[in-house]
Amino acid sequence: MNPPIYLDHAATTPVDERVAAKMLEVLTGPRWFGNCASDSHDYGEAAAAVVEDARAQVANAVGAQPSEVVFTSGATESNNLAIWGVAHYYRQRGRHIVTVRTEHKAVLDPCRELERRGWSVTYLAPDRGGRLDPQAVAGALRPDTVLISVMHVNNEIGVIQDIAAIAAICTRHGAWLHVDAAQSMGKCAVSFAASGADLMSLSAHKAYGPKGVGALLVSRARTPAIQLAPLQFGGGQERGLRAGTLPTHQVVGMGAAFELAAANLPNDAMRIAPLQQRLWQGLGAIGGVLRNGDARHCVPQLLNVSFEGVEGESLLAAVRGDLAVSTGSACTSATAEPSYVLRALGRDERLSESSLRFGLGRSTCEADVDTAIAVVRHAVVRLRRIAGT
Amino acid sequence: MKYNELTRRYFESTSKAGMLPDGFRGAAGHLAQGTWVQFDLRIEAASIAEVRFLAFACPHTIAVSAWLAENSVGHALRLEMPYSIAVLRELFEVPVEKLGRLIIVEDAWRAAAAAAIDSAANAPISVSRADRRVTDA
Repeated sequence: MNPPIYLDHAATTPVDERVAAKMLEVLTGPRWFGNCASDSHDYGEAAAAVVEDARAQVANAVGAQPSEVVFTSGATESNNLAIWGVAHYYRQRGRHIVTVRTEHKAVLDPCRELERRGWSVTYLAPDRGGRLDPQAVAGALRPDTVLISVMHVNNEIGVIQDIAAIAAICTRHGAWLHVDAAQSMGKCAVSFAASGADLMSLSAHKAYGPKGVGALLVSRARTPAIQLAPLQFGGGQERGLRAGTLPTHQVVGMGAAFELAAANLPNDAMRIAPLQQRLWQGLGAIGGVLRNGDARHCVPQLLNVSFEGVEGESLLAAVRGDLAVSTGSACTSATAEPSYVLRALGRDERLSESSLRFGLGRSTCEADVDTAIAVVRHAVVRLRRIAGT
Repeated sequence: MKYNELTRRYFESTSKAGMLPDGFRGAAGHLAQGTWVQFDLRIEAASIAEVRFLAFACPHTIAVSAWLAENSVGHALRLEMPYSIAVLRELFEVPVEKLGRLIIVEDAWRAAAAAAIDSAANAPISVSRADRRVTDA
């Protein structure tokens, strides 16, 4: 029996062989096991050298300065450091944060925790296509607003937000802008400098790098530069923002992955866009299928569709032998929760549950797409027959 | 969500899905709430002769409905399901959070059985539409 076709690249990606080779070299080589903070001997200096090379690779890939890269354990930590760090550092200046209902939980949950501790958070609604009107941000700003957090590419629907327009509004107001760009690398062009953002969260494992490493870009463009209160203490690494010994092999893996992702971006986009179109045409032909997210502003690697007349958990169960995809609902328990992202787009509870997210990647080929269409068609037709819908 | 082998088997091979044009029908639940089940029963000589079901529901609910449709044939017609919720829950390893869905299955079954029993009470000779047709002939 063949393994299921992997179409969940928005959740995570396999580590690129070239990335793994670099990591293995650092893990097993005689020179790089030293603590990169130990500058008293050659081993520490050798580790520091490859860490700084990786920092430069990440910075180059995303249009940032190496000094702006703070390595973390991943985008969740980066988001927490950004939101928590700004909120606490500037708590005397203001305690209001603006974000969007369709953000990742790694943004929404820290915001909710801050609300419990006395901060005020405004959750903006996107339009039915998932796009945020920058003027909605302008309308939400208050004298005590210190931070706006808006994601670049949505992890469920793939919609790209107009970060530059939002950044201009934030700058005029004197508030800081954090951008969760965990999904962006390798899917669309990323330029930290051009975006106007003050903080940007990055993840390695969404871009064929290892899990357990990410970065927060902290801008030095504005004067005075943004400041953050750290989340953890004990060593002063990463400019005092992220204490703890850096995992050299992980950081090297992220650097290699980002360098490859930036180099491959034009080819990946050209190859995957027709596959996404083929997938949508095939699924749409089933009938009673709705596309989620504004297709005009969507990365080619993501396609999210809802199926009328089928129950969400059954749909996922019916395809899971053949396809590795995600559902629109947090279907990890019996009390399946419909996707809050799709609900924010105006989809009703049933359609929010009966959606599938297809994440296309470097390994995806036409045959995979055609198989996916056939499998989903069979499942939808069968479940509709059973439901009498 | 993990499913046991029985659940997977009856979720995947639902040969009893459908309707019986001359069956006694009962349904429960709502599509809008995510679970809806319908049973059609054909009764012969006060026994269950054939069952079909429809379900807009999770794999557990579909599998339980499909299994009931297959395994209830031959049982005496009663208002209660031939198998209790407790038995079904154990067989299919239905998580406790989903017990409400088994109650919907039970409600649908009872509605169909009640229709059959009511019909039998009103028909002096036969207990099913099918029997009535034969008697009339």
